[in-house]
Amino acid sequence: MKIQMIVREWLFFTIAPCDAAEPWQLGFQDAATPMMQGIIDLHHDIFFFLILILVFVSWILVRALWHFHYKKNPIPQRIVHGTTIEIIRTIFPSIILMFIAIPSFALLYSMDEVVVDPAITIKAIGHQWYRTYEYSDYNSSDEQSLTFDSYMIPEDDPELGQSRLLEVDNRVVVPAKTHIRIIVTSADVLHSWAVPSSGVKCDAVPGRLNQTSILVQREGVYYGQCSEICGTNHAFMPIVVEAVSRKDYGSRVSNQLIPQTGEA
Amino acid sequence: MAAAPSLSEQYSLPKDEKPVESKPAEEAVVETTTEVVSEKTEEAPAAAVEESNEAPAPAVESSEAPVVESSESPVVESSEAPVDDAQTSNEDAAPAAEESSEAPEQEESGSEEAEEIKLETAPADFRFPTTNQTRHCFTRYIEYHRCTAAKGEDAPECDKFAKFYRSLCPGEWIDRWNEQRENGTFPGPL
Repeated sequence: MKIQMIVREWLFFTIAPCDAAEPWQLGFQDAATPMMQGIIDLHHDIFFFLILILVFVSWILVRALWHFHYKKNPIPQRIVHGTTIEIIRTIFPSIILMFIAIPSFALLYSMDEVVVDPAITIKAIGHQWYRTYEYSDYNSSDEQSLTFDSYMIPEDDPELGQSRLLEVDNRVVVPAKTHIRIIVTSADVLHSWAVPSSGVKCDAVPGRLNQTSILVQREGVYYGQCSEICGTNHAFMPIVVEAVSRKDYGSRVSNQLIPQTGEA
Repeated sequence: MAAAPSLSEQYSLPKDEKPVESKPAEEAVVETTTEVVSEKTEEAPAAAVEESNEAPAPAVESSEAPVVESSESPVVESSEAPVDDAQTSNEDAAPAAEESSEAPEQEESGSEEAEEIKLETAPADFRFPTTNQTRHCFTRYIEYHRCTAAKGEDAPECDKFAKFYRSLCPGEWIDRWNEQRENGTFPGPL
């Protein structure tokens, strides 16, 4: 039974948490946002041309090696100029490049365009080596009311089912199907806030606020890691985003807000 | 149901569950939920209804399904009044369809919850259309303090700027700027 499971796992290469990195992963993680879907689609679009060119070029190469073998054909043809073929081999690749560039730019510009007003803003502040998240939309004074640190669960500590080096003690809870603005910054050195299934990778630069927006389309737990070398524990400051329904998000936030404002 | 949904279908949001963009839409929803009786009813496909008696997810919008005649099939009615979608999909010629009294509860709670916790934040500002939002935060902070300087402390029209800069600026920055203002070393035009 167990072996069967393992075989199946290896056959299909992927299993269980499709929103986290996994051993020997070759492809993308499942898309959770339209942006990631766009990235995956662009990848497939480009691979169509890539495979076509690869096959064509290797066919030419093999054919040339075969037909112009020095024993078989010691004196090659002495053509040095051919206008038609030169025009074709200049125009045709540029058309291919255009076909790649158009969807690529469309995606690129739609990614950093903020079209709609977001419903919530979350600040992700990188520290050496943990992250602080601030939900300040509900503040009524400069006092921070909903701020927490997110540390990795130490390697000898994870409970059954938790991912090693990926799980954190306090996850970022976001509502699904809601436009979210994430402000990424750092308090010390460069960090990067990256969650592959959301298609987000945003550098955290001290003194600067970088904005990225996501729209998580399904509830789930999404894992990411720091993606900018930031020191000794660079590998040990993962990101966990938990997308819940909007209702659950509301109750979660109000539960966390009320005790804190009560004591203040 | 026969064909597997395409990727775009799989990932598109259902019609009545529009992503939250701004506040006014939700407030309108709260008002209209009371007169839900007169809202449009929609039927699930007849086959699906007979197989499974529980109401299908509200996400399934199948307004083009024929009117279900069988009286015992629970007619699903969407209680979430789609304020602005009502006109777009009102080809449901089903005035005769009876309404089941147990409307799915869970869709309404979204708007109820939203009253408790307002999903509201600083809007996208077209002075700052880029990824770099540093000046957005700084400008909102200055706008608030200029507003209070002009209209007096805790003037209600300044509150929105306070909300905006609190949403955008890291707490650490706000603390530092507040300190600088007290010391008179704040580097901005106040």
